[in-house]
Amino acid sequence: MTGMRKALLAGLLAALSVQAQALPAAAQTAREIMEKMDARDDGDNAVTNLEMTLIDKQGDTRVRRIVSYTKDKGRDMQRIMFFLEPADVRGTGFLTYDYYSGEKDDDQWLYLPELRKTKRIASSDKSGSFMGSDFSYVDMTRRVLDEWTYRILKEDEVRGAKVWVIEALPRDDTVRDRYGYDKSVIFVRQDIFLGVRAVHWLRDGGKLKYFDMKQVEQIDGIWMGTELDMKTTKGGETLHRTVMRFSNVRYNQALDDELFTVRRLEKGP
Amino acid sequence: MADIRDRIERGFEGLTAFLCRRRWWVVAATLAVAAGLASGMARLTIDTSNEGFLHPDDPTLAQYEEFKNQFGREDMILLAIEPADLFTDATLRKIKALHDELRDNVPHLNDIISLANARNTHGEGDRLVVDDLLAAWPETEAEIAALKDRVLANPLYRDRLVSRDARMTTIVLELDAFSGAGAGGVADALAGFDEPAKPVTRAKLTDAENRAAVETVRAIAAKYEAADFRLYMAGTPSVTEALKRAMQEDMRKFMGLALLTIGLCLLAMFRRIVGVVLPFLVVVLSFVSTMGAMGYMGTPIKLPTVILPSFLLAVSVGAAVHVLAIFFQQLRKEDDRAAAAIHAMGHSGLAIVMTSLTTAVGLGSFATAEVAPIADLGAYASLGVLLSLAYTIILLPPLLAIIPTRPHAAAPEGGGVFERLLDAVADFSTRHARAVVATGVVVIVVFVASAAQLRFSHDVLTWLPHDWPVYQATRKVDRDLRGSVVIEVIVDSGRENGLYDRELLVRLDGLARELEAWSEGDLFVGKATSVADILKEIHQALNENQPEFYRIPENEKLIPQEFLLFENSGSDDLQDVVDSSFSKARFTVKVPWRDTLELVPLLTHIQDRFPEVLGPGVAVTVTGITSLFSRTLYAAIHSAAKSYVIAFGAITLMMILLIGRIRLGLAAMLPNLAPIVIVMGMMWWVGIPLNMFTMLTGSIAIGLAVDDTIHFMHNFRRYFAQTGDVRAAVHSTLHTSGRAMLVTSIVLSVGFYIYLFSAMNNVFQFGLLTGSAIALALLALFLMGPALMVLLNPETAKKETGQ
Repeated sequence: MTGMRKALLAGLLAALSVQAQALPAAAQTAREIMEKMDARDDGDNAVTNLEMTLIDKQGDTRVRRIVSYTKDKGRDMQRIMFFLEPADVRGTGFLTYDYYSGEKDDDQWLYLPELRKTKRIASSDKSGSFMGSDFSYVDMTRRVLDEWTYRILKEDEVRGAKVWVIEALPRDDTVRDRYGYDKSVIFVRQDIFLGVRAVHWLRDGGKLKYFDMKQVEQIDGIWMGTELDMKTTKGGETLHRTVMRFSNVRYNQALDDELFTVRRLEKGP
Repeated sequence: MADIRDRIERGFEGLTAFLCRRRWWVVAATLAVAAGLASGMARLTIDTSNEGFLHPDDPTLAQYEEFKNQFGREDMILLAIEPADLFTDATLRKIKALHDELRDNVPHLNDIISLANARNTHGEGDRLVVDDLLAAWPETEAEIAALKDRVLANPLYRDRLVSRDARMTTIVLELDAFSGAGAGGVADALAGFDEPAKPVTRAKLTDAENRAAVETVRAIAAKYEAADFRLYMAGTPSVTEALKRAMQEDMRKFMGLALLTIGLCLLAMFRRIVGVVLPFLVVVLSFVSTMGAMGYMGTPIKLPTVILPSFLLAVSVGAAVHVLAIFFQQLRKEDDRAAAAIHAMGHSGLAIVMTSLTTAVGLGSFATAEVAPIADLGAYASLGVLLSLAYTIILLPPLLAIIPTRPHAAAPEGGGVFERLLDAVADFSTRHARAVVATGVVVIVVFVASAAQLRFSHDVLTWLPHDWPVYQATRKVDRDLRGSVVIEVIVDSGRENGLYDRELLVRLDGLARELEAWSEGDLFVGKATSVADILKEIHQALNENQPEFYRIPENEKLIPQEFLLFENSGSDDLQDVVDSSFSKARFTVKVPWRDTLELVPLLTHIQDRFPEVLGPGVAVTVTGITSLFSRTLYAAIHSAAKSYVIAFGAITLMMILLIGRIRLGLAAMLPNLAPIVIVMGMMWWVGIPLNMFTMLTGSIAIGLAVDDTIHFMHNFRRYFAQTGDVRAAVHSTLHTSGRAMLVTSIVLSVGFYIYLFSAMNNVFQFGLLTGSAIALALLALFLMGPALMVLLNPETAKKETGQ
């Protein structure tokens, strides 16, 4: 349903483009910037460890550890992930074929070790929570460029780096429903075309979500956020928050197609 | 004593003379002070929430706040739909359209659930379908039929989203728990990356925000309403909103009518405009000053506060009328307004101070009430009475001196209807003193017996006219969807992942089934749900939807994995029923709207049964609006008893002190007690319960009964000291103060009886009881006052008979 590789970029993918750096910033339209962000090399055949910390309103935290493998299939993407911790869900796995086109529902299989059964999950809802976090599946996926209209609001700085602040509006109600957002404002770094911050206006409940890439690293030549923060707020109050930390990130691993199968899913991590 | 009283009367005359000399200055200064106080009204806030019934530091409220903070609101707006045929393409489309329009337009909406987006987790062969119910639109007849079967087979929908007979469905709307939660501008939003320095303090949704939401739902519903698509709007927010609107409108309307009636009565009695304008001026100034003081003190206006103007009207008019009555009488003797004003104050000043003080003390006793608005009312009505006293003493005499008033031709002495009536009363009660007092005591005893059986009640729905849509809707939803309100229970395992404990989940599930079978009288539990139901649902879905798998899994290790699956299924419904560490579970019990008194047995049952079943180590907290109401009811009962005891004690003590003799002071309480006891006894007879409003009637009755008694005693002592003759003193008393009392009582009774025309049942009852209490207070005093004077002054009475 989603792309782990996209997870690395958490929602707002950017494109590192050497040519782009050469262009004068002012000469680009919002759409052009988003195209460059979309075209950025975000790596392939990746193996990653993910630590997900869920923080509730009371400040109580839960930590989940996951290992994930991703592989590109054209614009589509396959991913398999296994829970390592907490112990009571160890071995629970998800296999996803994530289709770029919004028209086609993703394929997802899950395996619960205690049930000893694989189930195929049918769902058309991409705006739901990803693994109980504040990230939704769409946050973890590459957005379809044409489904949104863009506008530069201003230029700004985030942690010392210059950014464009770009507003994205869904093209129609279908898109709005699928993403669950009325509007997004995305902060795109001008040097590496990476979306380092975003605010999403949720369609329901008057909530806002804040995405913040707190740590950016270059691994195997690819820029990625290694610490991602997403908080859901309402009326200025944080309702829930998720911190994702990536470690042991390795790109260009020899991941064969056999890895992304139900049989493999049932074997566990 | 007589000496002290003389000196006080001279003092009042001196003060009044001074005030009349500087009349313009005094008027200007007083009005300036009043304006200063009244300016506080700009800071007034309104709070008619259910939480507002309790003091902010009430532990019940803290529990409720904690609940709301964790799980959001539990008082939903229910929009029930009764279409000609629910499962048709046209109807489903209409429901979806209504759902979408509500979702997109209702302000402060936190969540909305209907058939259009109901969670639909089920198994289809080896597939696990996790979607909204209508995500894939049923296109054919067969698909619609399949949908119908699925909906009716789903225990989570039954009695919640769809009625058992499949004729009705509901859209459930949950409003925001906290105020100002709407999205701000883009600039505000973009500034939100940094954590706020200190935690945001949240105020509950304001009255205006609640109203906007309820009104929008109503307006949208009205567009969809049709003969084959009937809509019923129920749920606590709708009931509260209807009640508030009706109360405010009714009180405003009838306050105006009462003022008009009282004005006309005053005009008829005094036959002068000043006789109307001046008492009203005192009332208005006292009222705006008191409200201003509430504004400055940050005390919000609450539902029972609407009674404050009526109360001040009753008390202030009395004092002013007493002064005016004497003033006009004196004006006939000497055509000098200042002199007449000085005489009137010398005559009535002390009595007015005493009546105001006793009333203030009587009301002040309510300031300790556990029901917050009643406590506020006690404190501020008390303040209002004292302010009214100040305006009467300081402002009234200079104004009387300023405003040109011609004396009327003297009324024929003993010739008027009033005079003949007063003479007849005086003769009767002095001649049959023993019989009158004995009858009075018997009546009190009989009515105490009836009053003791009075039922307490807190059921705001019954205050509304029974033909109102929200009343009808609530009754219909209660019947067809088995309930419109909930009781919430928090089950705290006390440890992280405590809810992975299979045994605990099995017991929770058992409790739910047990409660659903519970009933007592016509009270039943419509539905009981908890996290156990979600687990059962997912377990069934993972097992090809076989009905026998609708249960808590046998394998305990499967529980966390099934929950993880659910969390990952895109539904955030788990956070509505458990906390994030899976230590606390929310257990929701749906019940029909009933008088809180009737819900108490169920609340008690839950309170007892849960710990019994769940065992030690599991903490159980019962909360929700229903629980708040129950606490309010308890507090009301407790407060009413306490306040009345304090009020009677304090007033008795003051009576003894004022009169200077214990026996006489105690005796004087008889005519004070009688009207309240009789009114309460009557309430039992006609089936009016003691509630927030009828309870307040007592405080008004005490205030006025005591006023009458003090005026009577005060004047009686004066005339008795002059003549040494009980009968003569009674006659003189009744012809002076008695006349004023009669005027006041008629005026106020009529004024309050105006409320009988209200469609609101509680306003009707309030008018009936208060009007009657005022009339009874006068009757009791006129009969028992003179009789008691005869009995308690036996020497002179005998002497008189001997003559």
